[in-house]
Amino acid sequence: METFKVKRVFFEDLGLNNPVFAQILGICSTLAVTNVLKNTVVMCVGLIFTTALSNLTVSMMREYIPARIRMMVETLIIAAYVIIVDIMLKAYLPDVSRQLGPYIGLIITNCIIMGRAEAFALSNPPFLSFLDGIASGFGYSYVLIIIAVVRELMGSGSIWGIRVLGDWWTNWSIMVMAPGAFFVLAIFIWVVKGMRTEEEKGEKK
Amino acid sequence: MAQLLIGIAAVCGVSTFLAVILVIADSTIANYGEVTVIINKDTQLKAQGGRPLLSTLMEQKVFIPSACGGRGSCGLCKVKIESDVGDYLPTELSWITEADMKENIHLSCQLKVKKDIAIRIPEELFNVKEYVTEVVSLVDLTYDIKQVTLRLTEPQEIQFTAGQYIQFQVPEYELTSEPVYRAYSMASQPSRKNEVELEIRLVPNGICTTFVFNHLKVGDTVRFNGPYGEFHLRDTNRDILFIAGGSGMAPIKSILHNMVEKNNTRKTTYFFGARAVRDLFLVKEMREIEKRLPNFTFIPALSNPLPEDNWKGETGLITDVLDRHLKRGDNLEAYLCGSPGMIDASVKVLTKKGISEELIFYDKFA
Amino acid sequence: MSGISFYVVFFAAIFTNNILLTNYLGMCSFLAVSKEVKTASGLGMAVIFVMAITSVLNWLAYYYILLPLNLTYLRFIVFIIIIAAFVQLLEMIIERVSERLYASLGIFLPLITVNCAILGASLFLVIRKYTFVSSFFYGLGSGIGWALAILAMAGIREKMKKSRVPKGLAGAGMALIIAGIMALAFMGFSGMLNIT
Repeated sequence: METFKVKRVFFEDLGLNNPVFAQILGICSTLAVTNVLKNTVVMCVGLIFTTALSNLTVSMMREYIPARIRMMVETLIIAAYVIIVDIMLKAYLPDVSRQLGPYIGLIITNCIIMGRAEAFALSNPPFLSFLDGIASGFGYSYVLIIIAVVRELMGSGSIWGIRVLGDWWTNWSIMVMAPGAFFVLAIFIWVVKGMRTEEEKGEKK
Repeated sequence: MAQLLIGIAAVCGVSTFLAVILVIADSTIANYGEVTVIINKDTQLKAQGGRPLLSTLMEQKVFIPSACGGRGSCGLCKVKIESDVGDYLPTELSWITEADMKENIHLSCQLKVKKDIAIRIPEELFNVKEYVTEVVSLVDLTYDIKQVTLRLTEPQEIQFTAGQYIQFQVPEYELTSEPVYRAYSMASQPSRKNEVELEIRLVPNGICTTFVFNHLKVGDTVRFNGPYGEFHLRDTNRDILFIAGGSGMAPIKSILHNMVEKNNTRKTTYFFGARAVRDLFLVKEMREIEKRLPNFTFIPALSNPLPEDNWKGETGLITDVLDRHLKRGDNLEAYLCGSPGMIDASVKVLTKKGISEELIFYDKFA
Repeated sequence: MSGISFYVVFFAAIFTNNILLTNYLGMCSFLAVSKEVKTASGLGMAVIFVMAITSVLNWLAYYYILLPLNLTYLRFIVFIIIIAAFVQLLEMIIERVSERLYASLGIFLPLITVNCAILGASLFLVIRKYTFVSSFFYGLGSGIGWALAILAMAGIREKMKKSRVPKGLAGAGMALIIAGIMALAFMGFSGMLNIT
């Protein structure tokens, strides 16, 4: 029963029920940081860290949180972990920290974390919640990374700062800027929805 | 170390300051004091203001029908307001029709009582009480319909009209974190005042039905409130037509037993629509009633009988069966209970046969 | 302190540095509530109000509490507590004072507490070191810019209801493409003013 649950938790969050596509959650940061792959990866690690630990903490405290101030307590827990991430970044990766700017702080308002805390951590044991946090974080991350690869590649001809495409490639500046993000995400959703309906059609048969 | 303490102190300081402001605000700005609720111009209730009308009334033991428990997702808690309460909230608008607006009917779970208010509710609602009961039997009528019999402990008797429904309270359990209410018609007739019988059909992932099928045991305590509903036999001389399938049989059964007790001799036909033989139940009970009421006929109709059923009775969709049996000019009133789809389709056939819409009565929540 | 004058900040916040179309903040509610102009305008008004006031409140908290005590790293917690408390207070006041206002924007207020744009605006004004007055106008301008974006989006989506859209793009996908095109359009304003 336990292993089955663990597997289910993991694959649901990673698969096509991924919160980013299925519910269009947490896209604020998606769009902002995905113009440079390195920043994206750092953001994702920060997010996985925060989601997993806040899920764990909320789950451990779930019996003791009074109903009325539930959301405030969850927010405070999430904020605490984000502060830790922010400080660590400033210390070890100051360039990235500066580039990411306020978006690290905005992990707090990322609907995914609050959503998982409410939907999962409040009613499940700590270890499972921790795994759910990691899985949700991963689910979110791989989407961001794919988008970032596309954007950085087309926008600057490089991946992780290393120039990959030769001089023949004219940078699609638009990819590095706001509209590029919107378009790439939209196309991504289109592709995924297409895959989902194919799967559903297959299942129906 | 000092830094850490200062940090914690600062955050606590700011939080406390804000919390104090909010508490003061809550007790002044958001405090609506005591309000008077005037019901039907003569009953006066005093209650704490600032809360939705539905819960305010429920606390005063006046129960307004609600299937969703005040969340604004069922539209059943409409109440006519006789004083000025301002504009409609966006959350009400999805349920309030133009006709409702002319009568100043609001959704009582969304309307907050901030000042004295006057409302009008049907007299029967005053008769609605909360009942505490004990489960005495759980019988499987078919693979997905259970018959639940409840014995009333507090109060011990219930008065209602055959065909009415109650709101069954599902307590907190794995599928719900707060009590929810679901409406079920009473299958027992009013003379069985100390008991209430319900027919509950399993809905996949249904909050109430999963509770009943997987968790409820004989001896458990169940709460419900009621009775509610306008579905009952009209006192006329017209022939009666019942159309109900599955758990829709409940109110019909109640009405039929009541008719047996009152020796009602009106010509009555009951079309029971189902898919196959395994969906039929209580056929013997219906045949017994046929013996006691000489003018009553029970006609089960199967839409998809399986070959092993060896079905010799009526076949086809209920609408086709109706089409075959009814003649234009029949002097009928019809009582339907079932899914919205089945009801809409049947109403079409009935009106085609010349039965006026005013003589067609139904309960649509099955 | 940043020496940029407040009216530059104001106009930049609406057009060239639109908090939604340039900084991507406030997307969740943007995509969810932009289906009808009426609801969008309710939410827009609420956002303008909350953003303007919380920007000011957070500026005060930053420069009078956090900075003197060397606690700037706690700004995330303090800002969000202030935002949450303010929104709750506002909800109580509006409910009491005006039924009409409550009916049109009251129900959006809880939604706003988790709106990244509100917290984002406060964080940006701290990073860019705006003065008190500039902060107010930045908050006000950002709110107006956000409201403008959501109103435009709602108007376009209402019209799109009658057009044929590829199935996979229906709903969110289409909204994102529209947002992208709007962002493109707003990029046309850049160069007019610069506030970073």
